Amino acid sequence: MELLVKGNKTYAATGGKEFDNKLATVLFIHGSGLDHRSWALQTRWFAYNGFSVLAPDLPGHSLSEGEPLESIEEMGLWLAQFLTAASVDSAHVVGHSQGFLCALELARQAPEKVKTLTGIGTAGAIPVNPALIEAALESAGKAAEMLLQWGFGNRSHLGMSAVPGMQPIAIGRAIMSKNPLATDLQACANYTTGETVASSLDIPSHLIIAGQDRLTPLKAGKRLAQKLKAEITVIEDYGHMLPIEAPRRCLHRLRETIAAFN
Amino acid sequence: MSRSSYLKPDTIALHSGYVPESDHGSRAVPIYQTTSYVFESVSTGSSLFNVEQGGHIYSRITNPTVAVLEQRIAALEGGTGAICTASGMSALFSTFITLCSSGDHIISATQIYGSTATLLRHTISRLGIDCSFVPINDEAALGDAIQPNTKLIFCESIGNPGLEVADIPQIAQIASDAGIPLVVDATFATPSLCCAIDHGANIVVHSITKWIGGHGLAVGGAIVDGGSFDWQASGRFPELTEPYAPFHGIKFWEEFGPSALAMKIRAESMRDIGAALSPHSAFLILQGIETLGMRMKKHVENTKDLIEWLQSREDVTWVNHPDIDSNPSHTIAQKLFPKGAGSVLCFGVVGGRAGGAAFIDSVQLASNLANVGDSRTLVLHPGTTTHSRLSPEDMLNAGVSEDMIRVSVGIEDIVDIKADFAHGLRAAKLVAVDQ
Repeated sequence: MELLVKGNKTYAATGGKEFDNKLATVLFIHGSGLDHRSWALQTRWFAYNGFSVLAPDLPGHSLSEGEPLESIEEMGLWLAQFLTAASVDSAHVVGHSQGFLCALELARQAPEKVKTLTGIGTAGAIPVNPALIEAALESAGKAAEMLLQWGFGNRSHLGMSAVPGMQPIAIGRAIMSKNPLATDLQACANYTTGETVASSLDIPSHLIIAGQDRLTPLKAGKRLAQKLKAEITVIEDYGHMLPIEAPRRCLHRLRETIAAFN
Repeated sequence: MSRSSYLKPDTIALHSGYVPESDHGSRAVPIYQTTSYVFESVSTGSSLFNVEQGGHIYSRITNPTVAVLEQRIAALEGGTGAICTASGMSALFSTFITLCSSGDHIISATQIYGSTATLLRHTISRLGIDCSFVPINDEAALGDAIQPNTKLIFCESIGNPGLEVADIPQIAQIASDAGIPLVVDATFATPSLCCAIDHGANIVVHSITKWIGGHGLAVGGAIVDGGSFDWQASGRFPELTEPYAPFHGIKFWEEFGPSALAMKIRAESMRDIGAALSPHSAFLILQGIETLGMRMKKHVENTKDLIEWLQSREDVTWVNHPDIDSNPSHTIAQKLFPKGAGSVLCFGVVGGRAGGAAFIDSVQLASNLANVGDSRTLVLHPGTTTHSRLSPEDMLNAGVSEDMIRVSVGIEDIVDIKADFAHGLRAAKLVAVDQ
């Protein structure tokens, strides 16, 4: 569906069903350079099983208009405005990688809008090598190649796919190449207060982190979980792109967490 | 490196799409010879049908063995996904019927495989889809042929059997400027010699019966979604951008983006037309694809050697291959096929049509049959076989002359191929002397 947020047309996937704000809402926030399609294998289940789903493309990403936001703090504020535009009082918030930093900021700035927090493949800070940001400024495609090489785990590099016949690395590359990856990466690099924010929150939380994550290593994910007092699920044998690499296991854990606090 | 994998092509060909993990740790890809798959629960069955999760339901739509082949081909071509079909022709039909409806229009290269020409000229036209045939490297003619209802431009990367190499970057630019996808049949090229998606093609189609399978064992086809076409921006494809009623109003572009076409073909064409590749055929073709890189090197090496040898003989009237200076698309071939432009060559012999027939009847190592891309050397007279249904004019436009012999050069020892051909050429010469 399309919404106007701060005057810009904003696209949000609704899991294939019309959005109904009377149902409990699950908000899915994508990672750097990605879009709502990261959540294709989670959103439809929630939409068809009693929830309403919103998986927006952040401003300037894929199907959403507007200038890309330059800081995680702005993204958190924008998410609060987005929920208001959708007439959602509060939501279960799920974020992947940078998306979870945005979720933390949403929770800091508008805690009343967050029922639960679930982070997937994430950490309290996501330092980015300046060379990668420079590459992204030159060419999003070139930077996407570097990022995806590190982002996906061994199974994906061996061409494994949760959807028969598909190639997730190529799909990710096609999406990232057209999105403002440099702005996103810079925003991640600049955001250093994630753990402090996490310590200040009192919201039921859950982190799903990957054993082969080379972008937000397991150790950093566990440290964030401690600050958040969050439940942890470690999925071994997969990389940073968990919602795409291990969609069923992510969905299974999401269902349990969200059902427990709904 | 392809867009789909960070592994090198020869590694992709051996490993992509399969990790030994079954109960038995089978190193080879197992043959999942089954029609259907048990659902863990009612809820799992329901979520599979509703595309809430990936997985297998029924082997007409997907099959684990076939999926390995699909993922491997997609990775080799650098696509976002692939769908394997029962044959190359069904891959073409599925592509055309997914993108076109009654009242739509296709632009095709003139020099294409005879059965594809028939499909476009006769079969598809019965469904109300028109096709214009143009000399594909003629920039002006191609631009002029585009109509408001044009849905795709089609060509073969190496035309069969005229051996004209399509200038894919130029055609892709014209297609892109008009908001139309470029569909390339890359059967003669294989991803080992040229990845059409790297040069701007949006969709790649294969007859995997040929070099990809490589051993003449099984018939199959593949469609690779390049993931590079913006179906929304084009404005010509409501089939992909508007709600699709048979699937809860799903909008393929919104939902799947770069893999929208592959998902649509899977959901509609495989369901409704059902031209599925059998798991056993997929297994046989997987054995072939594992050695694709090695075989293509040898195919090309033998072809170069045979070209030189044929050109040196007085009983050969002409030789055509894109690697020869006289081929009109030689410059394009050098650009797109630095390793060599495939292993099909054509030549004429003294004695014209009768001489050609004598050659084919006399060779013993080479097989006279209607196929290409076998490891073994194959010969054929297109004028009386694959292109026989075309009118004389259409035959000429397709680059077929009456005396033409098409050779798919195999990977035997080149000494033996030459000896066999020398025998055939002696027979042709005898016919010529008698004329």
